[in-house]
Amino acid sequence: MEYKIVMPVLSDTMDKGKLIKWHVKENDRVKKGDVIAEVESDKAIMEVQTFKDGVVKKLLAKEGDEIEVKKPIAIIETDTKEAENKKEQEEKPKERVQKNNLKETKEEISIFEDILPANKPKIAKTKAAASPAAKKEALKINLDIESLQKEGKIPTPAHLKDIKETELKKYFTPKALKLIKEYQIDINSFKLNKKYKEEDIKNFIKENNIPKISPLSSNQKAVIQNLKNSLQKPIFHIYETIEIGFDIKFKFTAYFLKILAKVMQNHPKTRAVLKQNSLQIYPSSNISVALAKDNELYMAVIKKAEDKSLNQIEEWLKEIKTKKLSKEDMEGSTFGVSNLGMFKIEAFDAIINKDDSAIAAIGEIKENRFKTIFTFDHRILNGKDAALFVKELKEAFLEGRYV
Amino acid sequence: MLYREALNKAIDEAMEIDKSVVILGEDVGRYGGSYRVSEGLFAKYGKERVIDTPIAELSIVGNAIGMAIAGLRPVAEIMTVNFSLLALDQIINHASKFRYMSGGKLAIPLTVRMPGGVSRQLAAQHSESYETIYASIPGLIVFAASNPNYAYHALKKAIFLNDPVIFLEHELLYNEEGEVDFNEDLDPFKAKVVKEGEDITVISYLKMVKDSLKAIEKIEKSLNITCELIDLNSLRPLDMQTIANSIKKTKRAVIVEEDHKSGGYGAEVCARICEELFYELDAPVLRIAGEDVPIPYNRKLELASIPTPDKITAKIISWAKENGV
Repeated sequence: MEYKIVMPVLSDTMDKGKLIKWHVKENDRVKKGDVIAEVESDKAIMEVQTFKDGVVKKLLAKEGDEIEVKKPIAIIETDTKEAENKKEQEEKPKERVQKNNLKETKEEISIFEDILPANKPKIAKTKAAASPAAKKEALKINLDIESLQKEGKIPTPAHLKDIKETELKKYFTPKALKLIKEYQIDINSFKLNKKYKEEDIKNFIKENNIPKISPLSSNQKAVIQNLKNSLQKPIFHIYETIEIGFDIKFKFTAYFLKILAKVMQNHPKTRAVLKQNSLQIYPSSNISVALAKDNELYMAVIKKAEDKSLNQIEEWLKEIKTKKLSKEDMEGSTFGVSNLGMFKIEAFDAIINKDDSAIAAIGEIKENRFKTIFTFDHRILNGKDAALFVKELKEAFLEGRYV
Repeated sequence: MLYREALNKAIDEAMEIDKSVVILGEDVGRYGGSYRVSEGLFAKYGKERVIDTPIAELSIVGNAIGMAIAGLRPVAEIMTVNFSLLALDQIINHASKFRYMSGGKLAIPLTVRMPGGVSRQLAAQHSESYETIYASIPGLIVFAASNPNYAYHALKKAIFLNDPVIFLEHELLYNEEGEVDFNEDLDPFKAKVVKEGEDITVISYLKMVKDSLKAIEKIEKSLNITCELIDLNSLRPLDMQTIANSIKKTKRAVIVEEDHKSGGYGAEVCARICEELFYELDAPVLRIAGEDVPIPYNRKLELASIPTPDKITAKIISWAKENGV
């Protein structure tokens, strides 16, 4: 039989023990009570004994290792059947003694049961009219808490907040207060000698040129971080006018994605990202598409675009407009597309998204032609790589390849 | 630096600066202290200055008082506060009163270190917190170290104070890692604002400081407010000024302690707040403390008997909602 010796729990606060020294080697014969190792707890160095006779089968740790408590450090192959029989005999009487003990304890508890106190009833809370701080403030500004509570204007018990709000309501209309909160204006900026209306606050804001504070959403923060990272990238641009040699029946972005995805299949570096000092070239054409939604910018990623039909791509474009985008919806791209052509923008350049190798900025279509400015990450694509890629893309558009 | 290493360094440096500093206690010498606080000191300073004593707490403190009267600066270690009950007569009836009884002719520059609190399954007789006893004795100074920085500075200063100091440690903090600023001139009598906040003041000491800090993170998110956390550091004297500064700002106070609620140290803090800061309060003071039971051995019951970060979080949130936060 195998008997495992574990890292002992030597103190109440010990999580791990350090094996300082082995006193045995593998295949050594050991007797019950022999010291096999020294371990260090958070308190002191202690000896570890074996509680069974046998042969050391395996040492599971090296000197100097830190091992969690109760995890095995050595395996002892116990000698013979006899030894085990003996052990069993030793253990049996113990069990009997323990059972007897249990009985006695139970009886003792029953003696004391009668004197245990019954559950005390909870003391009901007094409904105080107001907190000390609220009362103090009310006194200062001459406010009658009780009558206000009777009118239902402030809650019972009243707190400081209720008194202060009541006081402010004397001098500001609710709309005025809302503006003050929105613009985070210090209330002490106003002399409390008249009632201020929304107009008054608006004038105050204009006079003092106070900005409206609009906290950044987590998406905005992520976009800013992404843009900052992109600034570090060495980039170059290619400016092209592309001619369309086919009739447009779907959304133009769908055509662009489809042709781009197919051409990307012939240019591995457009499917690459730079990570851990290597180029990681992905098999699929996964393309991030800039998307304006609820005043925010998202880069939604269409996966395996090369396998999708124009119909499917158009469906996808519709879907991402309405659905709530998850983290997965915005990951895994190697190339980006931004289309401002629909807003009659002639040409613009875009900033590379996250780890993408490049981005294409699409301008407005005029007489079957549109301008596109490509931005490439020079660390991933060289001028020649980019030129060959753009050349093929251009040809594909002219010939109506893949559509 | 680990908490126990910070304590060790404080004693080591004190012993190096001043030859009259000696340490004594059960297993402090050859064994290095039951929590390794005096590790290495026996080898460095020898048996004359690092003294292993018999298991007799009354005599440890009694001998230390004698040393102190005779001009030494003894640092006595009691293995846990639970055993310090055996030394109470020497601490309360002698150490704390000699300066007064001798008309100021005798000083007792004694430090008695002792760890306490609920560790892991040490059962009822080894899990108590007796700061409430010591903090009620005139003539004693009581420090409670919740982190390595305070442990280092406060223990070193305690050793050089001319009055008896009860230096409380917590058994679960010995392996706590923390930075120690050796250039800091720390006032051990001053409470520390661990974290600033505007809406609720949370007052704590020893291990509950750490647990409260964990709770505060969740409370702030859940209620969209900020909490101020105060580590009392010195339990006697109590630094009411730091508490007052905070409550005047937040108007609300919570006290978190591990000890049983009835007669716990939090009761004293609560009473002082009600006496001195009543008109500042915008909510009843909340006390979060251990249950009024002997600490159970069973781990689940043990945790049920004391505050945990989750319980602190839940209690403060429901109290805050009831009281207009």
